Amino acid sequence: MQPAALPCGAMSTGHHSDARFGLDRKALTDAVPLVIPAIPFGFVLGLAIAESQMPLWAAWLSSPLIFAGAAQLTMVTIAGTASMWAIISAVLVINSRHVMYSAALAPPFRHQPRWLRWLAPFVMIDQVFALATLRADDPPASFRRYYITIGILFFSVWNIVVPLGMVVGPIIPLAWQLDFAPVVMFAGLTLFAVKRVSAGVAAIVGGLVSLATAALPDRLGILIGAISGVVAGAVFEEWLNSSDSRAQDEPDPTGSLEGAAP
Amino acid sequence: MSHSAAAIVLVACTLGTYAFRGGVMLLLADRTIPPVLERSLQNVGPAVLAALTVSLAVSGGGGSGVEIVPIEMAALGVAGIAAVWRKNLLWTLAAGMVALWVLAAF
Repeated sequence: MQPAALPCGAMSTGHHSDARFGLDRKALTDAVPLVIPAIPFGFVLGLAIAESQMPLWAAWLSSPLIFAGAAQLTMVTIAGTASMWAIISAVLVINSRHVMYSAALAPPFRHQPRWLRWLAPFVMIDQVFALATLRADDPPASFRRYYITIGILFFSVWNIVVPLGMVVGPIIPLAWQLDFAPVVMFAGLTLFAVKRVSAGVAAIVGGLVSLATAALPDRLGILIGAISGVVAGAVFEEWLNSSDSRAQDEPDPTGSLEGAAP
Repeated sequence: MSHSAAAIVLVACTLGTYAFRGGVMLLLADRTIPPVLERSLQNVGPAVLAALTVSLAVSGGGGSGVEIVPIEMAALGVAGIAAVWRKNLLWTLAAGMVALWVLAAF
């Protein structure tokens, strides 16, 4: 799931931990606005798993093992129409954004015990990252408690809701056309993910190239579109930076460069 | 999809995802990633999600070939408006699916 949809501004940044409990109750309160939107997403994933051409056991195990909504939904949706390698590539491309999260959270984890540094990445989803970033300057013990609390919360909710969707999926009438739900989810996630102009360029180029290459076998269009989009976004950003620096070199008659994209 | 192929997909995706999430934190804790790479990674989400949406939206029955179904495109348009307006995934899903059902009924 994308962080764009997260109402981060609503979160409290004050420090609090309750020594009587193993879990940080403030963390639970902070996480509620982010857990609620994850519930329908997990449910739709469960429905998609029930309809997937992937063996049920493998599709189900993706929840505790991979634990990444958009990547899981991609995996179970394109299974059967894409080769094994195309599925693996698509999932890994989607999850490559986590490198950024790992880099951003590396400083607070330097002061954490080794066991947590090894376990923490399992639950480092978009929402956990968004919440944990706000606590990066907390003392190590309270950061640890906070991270573990939100990690356990999201992991538990996800692994309850997805199987629930799997159970309910087969009894929902075909007329409801719920196989279209993942497409709607992906469309929404795309729009939420566009927060900068260069991201918009990446999305538009990605979508158009994917459309132009849709007839290719093995869902290759997804990868070609994604790579084209990322390259287009980077080229656009480079062009924007160079035109910004040119503008700064020249005298600015209006005296204002406000509003220029970063 | 065979059981062995599914097992390979599951293992590769699990290990790959873990490596992305833990790699920098575990191995390069004292270094930062280059700004160019970081900016590119920020655009991976929008690019891949858009490509995925289009690929799934225009795929024909059984996932092969290209087929554009007008009512599905209209439903996606309604979902897009709801996404921009409400900025909420549940609203987006509800708007898209209700639009599809209403349009299919006519």
